[in-house]
Amino acid sequence: MSTPVLPLLGRGLAAGGAAGLAAGLFSLLLAEPVMDRAIRLEEARSAEEHAHGAAATAVQHHEELFSRSTQHFGLVVTAVVAGLALGVLFALAYALVHRRTGLAERPWPRALTFGAAAFVAVSLLPGLRYPANPPGVGDSGTVADRQALWLAAVVIGVLGMVLAWQVYVRLAGRPLPVRQVAVALTGVATLAVLFALPGNPDEVPVAATLLWDFRVLSLASHAVLWAVFAGVFGALGLRAAGRTAPAAAPVAA
Amino acid sequence: MSLHTAQHADTAAVESATTTTRDWLIMAAAAILAVVALYAVFMDNGTVVAATGDYLHEFAHDGRHLFGAPCH
Repeated sequence: MSTPVLPLLGRGLAAGGAAGLAAGLFSLLLAEPVMDRAIRLEEARSAEEHAHGAAATAVQHHEELFSRSTQHFGLVVTAVVAGLALGVLFALAYALVHRRTGLAERPWPRALTFGAAAFVAVSLLPGLRYPANPPGVGDSGTVADRQALWLAAVVIGVLGMVLAWQVYVRLAGRPLPVRQVAVALTGVATLAVLFALPGNPDEVPVAATLLWDFRVLSLASHAVLWAVFAGVFGALGLRAAGRTAPAAAPVAA
Repeated sequence: MSLHTAQHADTAAVESATTTTRDWLIMAAAAILAVVALYAVFMDNGTVVAATGDYLHEFAHDGRHLFGAPCH
């Protein structure tokens, strides 16, 4: 019983666009005020340093290519593009994982499970190791190193999730507690590998409350993205299953 | 009854035959496009994709910070 793969791709794109838009608007409303505050504080900080005749190496953050309002709009566009791209990758991974059991089976619970797994692998685990920093943090001299570390963290997060899933599947004959403890140990091992990576080399000269607010909002935006994605992807899967089932019924009867 | 079952099996067989190679190729192409899009949005610093200068980076600036992608 094979189901076409391409509709999955369409569902991934549709759900990704909706999820990116939701996360973009969520962060436009809640995270942008925090980012604007961070940028004002950064400007004040660097003005003060100049006034004190400090080294001119003070972080000159913006070349002012775009106004802040354009960057606000850019946030939403970025979120939508990221949502669409992640939606495609999600659909592909979903098809690979479920290729043996029929792609149209149990669309809703599978979408929720897969969405939760994607959140943990791609957002939560890398975010725990390298939490997001507000504007004003980030040395352009270290950006290449930080990108390599961040990519490594995302790859380790995904590999850890695949490993946990494989451990769970391959211990199918064992009692449930054994399987679950094995999965938990895989999670601990993944975290250990993540924290064996070198830390973020940059200083964080930002007030703790601002930093906390920003990081919570960052993680919340990730959560909004994946929650909306999983919901829309699952609902579209249900709708597709509902459309084929009544058509198949008369044939079977 | 048996005719119907046979027809059903036939369409299923045709479907599985036509939804393999071509569709996987499309999926692979879409995956490559998706990775390029993610790179452009979260990784480009204007040094690798020289033509965009810093414009792409600055336009996606807030999104990069928010989603935890390293930024200057």
